[in-house]
Amino acid sequence: MRGRAAGETEDLHHAAARPLPLEPQARRRRWERPGPRGQSATRRDGYLPYAMIAPLVVFIGALAIYPTVLTVVEAFFHIDPLSPPDHFVGFGNFSAVFSNPQVRQSFANTGWYVLFGVALTVCLGTGIGLLLQRPFRGRGVILAIVVLPWALPGVVEGVIWSWIYNPTFGVVNSVLKSLHLIGQYQLFIGTRQVESILLIALVQAWQITPLAALIVLAALQSIPDELYESASVDGASWHRTVRSVTIPLIRPALAIATVEALVMSLNIFDQVYVLNANATTASSIMSTTYFITFQNLNFGQGYALSLLATVATVLLSVGVVKVLYRKVEYR
Amino acid sequence: MRRALRHSGRTLAFAALIFWSLFPVYWALKTSLSTNAASQQAPVQFFPYHPTFVAYQALFGAGPESAAAAGGISQALVNVVVEASGATVLTLVIAVLAAYAFARLRFRLKGLIFYATIATLTLPVYATLIPLYRIMANLGLVDTYVGIIFVYTSGFLPLALWIMYNVFLSLPAGMEEAARIDGASTMQTFVRVVLPTARPGIAATAIVTFLFGWGQFIFPLVLSSSSSTEPLTVLLAAIDSRNVPYTIINAAAIVAVAIPAVIVFFLNRWIVTGITAGSVK
Repeated sequence: MRGRAAGETEDLHHAAARPLPLEPQARRRRWERPGPRGQSATRRDGYLPYAMIAPLVVFIGALAIYPTVLTVVEAFFHIDPLSPPDHFVGFGNFSAVFSNPQVRQSFANTGWYVLFGVALTVCLGTGIGLLLQRPFRGRGVILAIVVLPWALPGVVEGVIWSWIYNPTFGVVNSVLKSLHLIGQYQLFIGTRQVESILLIALVQAWQITPLAALIVLAALQSIPDELYESASVDGASWHRTVRSVTIPLIRPALAIATVEALVMSLNIFDQVYVLNANATTASSIMSTTYFITFQNLNFGQGYALSLLATVATVLLSVGVVKVLYRKVEYR
Repeated sequence: MRRALRHSGRTLAFAALIFWSLFPVYWALKTSLSTNAASQQAPVQFFPYHPTFVAYQALFGAGPESAAAAGGISQALVNVVVEASGATVLTLVIAVLAAYAFARLRFRLKGLIFYATIATLTLPVYATLIPLYRIMANLGLVDTYVGIIFVYTSGFLPLALWIMYNVFLSLPAGMEEAARIDGASTMQTFVRVVLPTARPGIAATAIVTFLFGWGQFIFPLVLSSSSSTEPLTVLLAAIDSRNVPYTIINAAAIVAVAIPAVIVFFLNRWIVTGITAGSVK
């Protein structure tokens, strides 16, 4: 799904940025080789292509596709190393999962994570993209500063921010108290559900916003200058130009940034693991799956939860692309 | 007047952007260079007036507070370097070979295999985490470098393939045709002509893949059961949940930040190429 959507954008980039292949060369190729290109290539390449893709097929087959099939199948089995044997239970794991209040809370929490994560990432990313659109001295350095949080491990970010949010020595508490916005130091994470989730989502947004910013920036830079020139000749304000020229033209990029943010916030784990541990207050589906599977060793329920989350992720991504993605053509 | 206003608005936006991106890292660095007492002052000090390396010494097993940190960071550093570079090399070799076949050669089932591989990009961690653990446990590869590198590689391959496929497609076909007309075999053409031209794309893929490997957490959390394979991220989460002074925790965080930060500041051009090639194209 993402592949196809992406392919279309690629055509656009080629059309906009790359010169057409040299005419004589193309002609010579066709003239020198009679018959369809595929035939002669097959004869020439023989078994070589199969040898070149064999390692890929083995890895993807054995360690990506086979495990996914296992998840689908084993979600319908009772699998628990502590109470063997494994046996078929139909939808038993699913009903057990749905009747578990901790799981239900993690569903609601993940809804909040997605809402905050997508909103923060796409808005901040678009803003940063617009800010960096025009070339200026030092843009390379600013770009490196912007990319830095993306390059850091999620766990490290969780650790750094947990110290920032610290209830007894944290800088947020200190600043808020100095500004008289709070009377005494607060416990920010762990008491109130939505507040805890927002603060953890902010840490993830800090990590993934650069990705959205770069995606938007790449799209912005492929917009031809003439469009801006004619907008300014027509006397359009900055605001009007952004709304009528920029946003429609970066729609495909916004769709991709939204899907990336959606998938990552549906999968949020590292930051939750560090900042929320195994409390239910701000648990995510991923953290709940981890604790059910690897601490309670209830593999069957872990599988059921994984399958539900996988299906939800794929369906939501396809849905977002369907709604937001439109092919853009310059005329 | 209006122009001056807009100019200062822009400057303000840049200041906010720099603050947002750098402050958390600065804060960890500042804390790691403070004494315990200085890090616990209220209101906080925004600058380390008397910088000290006590926390780092403790972290690497020297000085009075080392017992609390319980060591292990040197081993965790070795582990993450081995795992991230091992996965990068393996991913690159496999992805470059396959991407060239997909981009330039003809063979049966090409489309099906290509799209099946790219489709695994959309699979979330959930889809494979538990079965991969069980597969690795059955093979006796839990808590081994090989097991972790294999799992990383299977996760990094689709993106690396996608980037390299686009790199090969964007190379002019004329040079390869010329080499073949001169009598070079497909393999010779690939090694002598294509690979040198594709070097920038390969570098971008390698850097992005290495950074992914450096930051992995949930897979090693599940797959490495002892300090012999535990990467920095897993150790850091463990230190964070123990009763260790915050100066030492932040020093450990800075150790984990250092390598990605150096890579970003010197090789950012490749990262930007890699990210945009991977997600926009």
